[in-house]
Amino acid sequence: MKCFSLVLTVCVAFLILGTGCSKKENTIKLAIVAQMTGAQAKIGSDFKNGGGIAAEEWNAKGGVLGKKVEIILGDDQADPKQAVEVANKLVNEGVAGIVGHYNSSCSIPASDVYNRANITMITPASTNPLVTERGYRNVLRICGRDDQQGKVAADFASKRLAIKRVAIIHDKTTYGQGLADEFRKNLGRGIEVVYAGGITIGDKDFKPVLTSIKDKKPDLIYFGGIYPETGLLVKQAREVELMAPFMSGDGSIDPKFVEIAGSKSAEGTYLTFSPDPKNIPAARGFMEKYAAKYGEMGPYSIYAYEAANILLTAIQAAGTTDGRAVMEKIHSMEFNGSLGKIKFTEKGDVAQSPYVVWITKNGKFEEYWKP
Amino acid sequence: MLFQQVINGLTLGSVYAIIALGYTMVYGILELINFAHGEIYMLGAYLGIIFLGIFTTMGLTAYSLPLAVFLTVVLAIFFCSAYGFTMEKVAYKPLRNAPRLSPLISAIGVSIFLQNYVMITQGATDRVFPYRFGEKHLHFMNAEVTWLQGSIIAVSAILMISLHMFQKTRMGKAMRATAQDKTMAALVGINVDSIISLTFVIGAGLAAVAGVMVASYYGLVNHFIGYVAGIKAFTAAVLGGIGSIPGAMLGGIILGLIESTGAAYISSEYKDAYAFVILIIILLIKPSGILGRHTEEKV
Repeated sequence: MKCFSLVLTVCVAFLILGTGCSKKENTIKLAIVAQMTGAQAKIGSDFKNGGGIAAEEWNAKGGVLGKKVEIILGDDQADPKQAVEVANKLVNEGVAGIVGHYNSSCSIPASDVYNRANITMITPASTNPLVTERGYRNVLRICGRDDQQGKVAADFASKRLAIKRVAIIHDKTTYGQGLADEFRKNLGRGIEVVYAGGITIGDKDFKPVLTSIKDKKPDLIYFGGIYPETGLLVKQAREVELMAPFMSGDGSIDPKFVEIAGSKSAEGTYLTFSPDPKNIPAARGFMEKYAAKYGEMGPYSIYAYEAANILLTAIQAAGTTDGRAVMEKIHSMEFNGSLGKIKFTEKGDVAQSPYVVWITKNGKFEEYWKP
Repeated sequence: MLFQQVINGLTLGSVYAIIALGYTMVYGILELINFAHGEIYMLGAYLGIIFLGIFTTMGLTAYSLPLAVFLTVVLAIFFCSAYGFTMEKVAYKPLRNAPRLSPLISAIGVSIFLQNYVMITQGATDRVFPYRFGEKHLHFMNAEVTWLQGSIIAVSAILMISLHMFQKTRMGKAMRATAQDKTMAALVGINVDSIISLTFVIGAGLAAVAGVMVASYYGLVNHFIGYVAGIKAFTAAVLGGIGSIPGAMLGGIILGLIESTGAAYISSEYKDAYAFVILIIILLIKPSGILGRHTEEKV
């Protein structure tokens, strides 16, 4: 009897597994993967909403290759280990393309997995040079690169602000440290780096390090990292009366940054980011749709939307979801979407990706300086 | 600058100290390391955010800020104490006579449960404290001390002094007797069960205060903060000598000072490592901790 029930259990288990497998592939699966949980989860929902709108628009037009687009969400928790795990899971699910990841430290290891499986990945936000420097044809990005971004920040600091002394902090991640290094490399000879050091992501108390920076009297504090730490750093700097302006990169341009730092402390913080989509006429349609559905747009919502659109356009043009055909199509085509014309270089970067400097004013971000 | 670093370290250290008290009191009585204690502190931080949020919408914060903060702290203490009490009854009391490892595993279970409970009910994202305390400073010996920092140090000091005085009361004596020998304490008419409950309630209440203070100080809370704070406070308790109440206070403050001066003068990249390096050194020199007494094995 015992034996019989055991056999029955196994049979039921197989039946359950079987239903999963026998489902006919009636949809085109598009993965959106970023940190859906954790301290940076706001970015995940921006990706999800932006990419989701693209899928809805295609489905309203009758889908891609006559099939409906289905969004598969992946959560990498901003953790490189988790990113590889999610990447393997998505490959097994047979997704046709990847919109993601956010953190460069996640995009790089995950792209190895996608490369082996010949699945095209377009990251809306990973700016570390290494993402596209490894000769992977399936890895592309529609944002800029940190070597471009670090240079613009350094030019701004030396030409516009004319600083003499700078303190550089980073969060020890691929993105944060990489950006801080690029910034430092591009500083002119006349600028003295009075402090350089790392902090730990998830830590809440930065007063000791800020107090020692205050002692060095910098004219500017540059931070390579993401908004939760940027917010805490700016807030605590003002509490120890370290009043020098802060500057950071595209990882910090998020309303949450102001919320954490408080709009008074955040006032005057410089951030490098792409030009304001508000000034791109083609973006208006998407922005109105987004605002009506989800409220205020996150900085990367439109990039996730555009990445999804490019993938789906290429699949449609290739006439197949075959990985190689899709990635060759993306490299050869020119896309005309909400961010204007986009053409990819041989490496997989966007041909022209101008960074500009934004400033935080009354709790909002405004374009401030063009190199 | 050194004085500023001492103030930074003292703020952090006094918070560690009052969390460490919860560890050390429970260890003193049950010889149990209550790994779920950090989670109580995390609950305190969330309750602080929730209640102050409610008071702000009610308009009480605008009417009288001290009253709103006071009520928030009282409510957080009340609910956390209830959690502490229930935790002991559900997870530890049934295992009172089990091998020592069982309650320890049960404690880890409670910790995982509470963390995930908060993650599901409150969301996995960071929560920002609803009220921003002024950035007014006290210039004091070349250092900037915010009012909030000053209050954290003061409140912690008051709590530690009152706990010290409590030990001298009838109830406190009963608690110390229970810590020395449960059977003998029961024989002289002490209700051991209620003393153990009281220990958990006091520990949880202290953790609640720490939680609210930290939430208002850093302004950022997530469901994971209890883990790190718990490990640090546990280190503080071991550093001072686990089971010893003055030891926990001293250990917490030393830990805070080491962290802030280490991050300032050596490198901020290894901030978390300094505490553990010191812990290892102390344990090698004096295994029972700074103020810990060497206890004979009970026969």
